[in-house]
Amino acid sequence: MKEETISLIASILEIPKEKITEKTNLINDLELESLDLVDLVAAFEEKYNIEILDKDIKSLQTVGDIINYIEKKNV
Amino acid sequence: MYKLYIEKDTSSEYLLKKVLKKEGIKDIEIIYNDYGKPYLKNKELYFNISHSNNLTVLVISNEEVGVDVEKITMKESIIPRICTSSEQKLIKTPEDFTKMWVKKESYVKYLGIGIAYGLKNADTTKIKGFILKKYEDYYIAIYGDDLKTLKED
Repeated sequence: MKEETISLIASILEIPKEKITEKTNLINDLELESLDLVDLVAAFEEKYNIEILDKDIKSLQTVGDIINYIEKKNV
Repeated sequence: MYKLYIEKDTSSEYLLKKVLKKEGIKDIEIIYNDYGKPYLKNKELYFNISHSNNLTVLVISNEEVGVDVEKITMKESIIPRICTSSEQKLIKTPEDFTKMWVKKESYVKYLGIGIAYGLKNADTTKIKGFILKKYEDYYIAIYGDDLKTLKED
C-alpha cells in the first residue's frame, strides 16, 4: 500500500518517487495547490474505488495521511 | 469596496504586509477560523489570497471576500467529481474549465469553509455575482458581499 501510494503520487505529479516519504507534506513540500490536490484525490478514488469526501481533503496533509485514510476505507 | 493586487514572484505574506501597511494598518495580527481562513484579528478589513505558479493575487475589502487564481488548464478526469450536470454541459474548453474552477474556489473561500463545503455544492450556474478577470494566461475570480466597486493596483 505504502509503495503503491507513493508511486501513484510520483506518477501524477511527475516527480521522482525517491523524493516522497510518508512524512512529505503535500502543500509545504510538494507545493500542491487546491486543484492539484483534488486531481490527486480523484486519482486515488478511481484506483481504489473509494470516495474521499471533500470535507476530509483538508485533513490529508501528508503522504502518510493519505495512506492511513485509504487503509481505513478497508482497501 | 474591493481592491485587487496582482504580483509575480512574491510571497503571500510579503504582499499582504505591504498592502496592509499601505492601508494604514500597522498592527497585523492574523487569526484563523475553524477551516483555516485567515482574518485580521479586529476585522477592520477583510482579505483573501490565492496563488498559482509564480502569480499571487490579493483582494482586500470592507466585507467578506474570496478570491482564486489559476493558470488556464484542463483536468477532464475531475470534472464529474467537482461539477454538477449543469456545469458539465458548459465545459468545452480549458478556458471554460478554469473559469468554473476559480469561481467555485472563490465562492468556498468567501464562505470561509474551503473545499470542505463540497465543490459540487458550489454550483456556479446558480450562484450569481462573481467578478471574473483574465490576466495573461490566468483567470481570477472574486466573490464577496459587496461587488459594486473594484479597484486594481
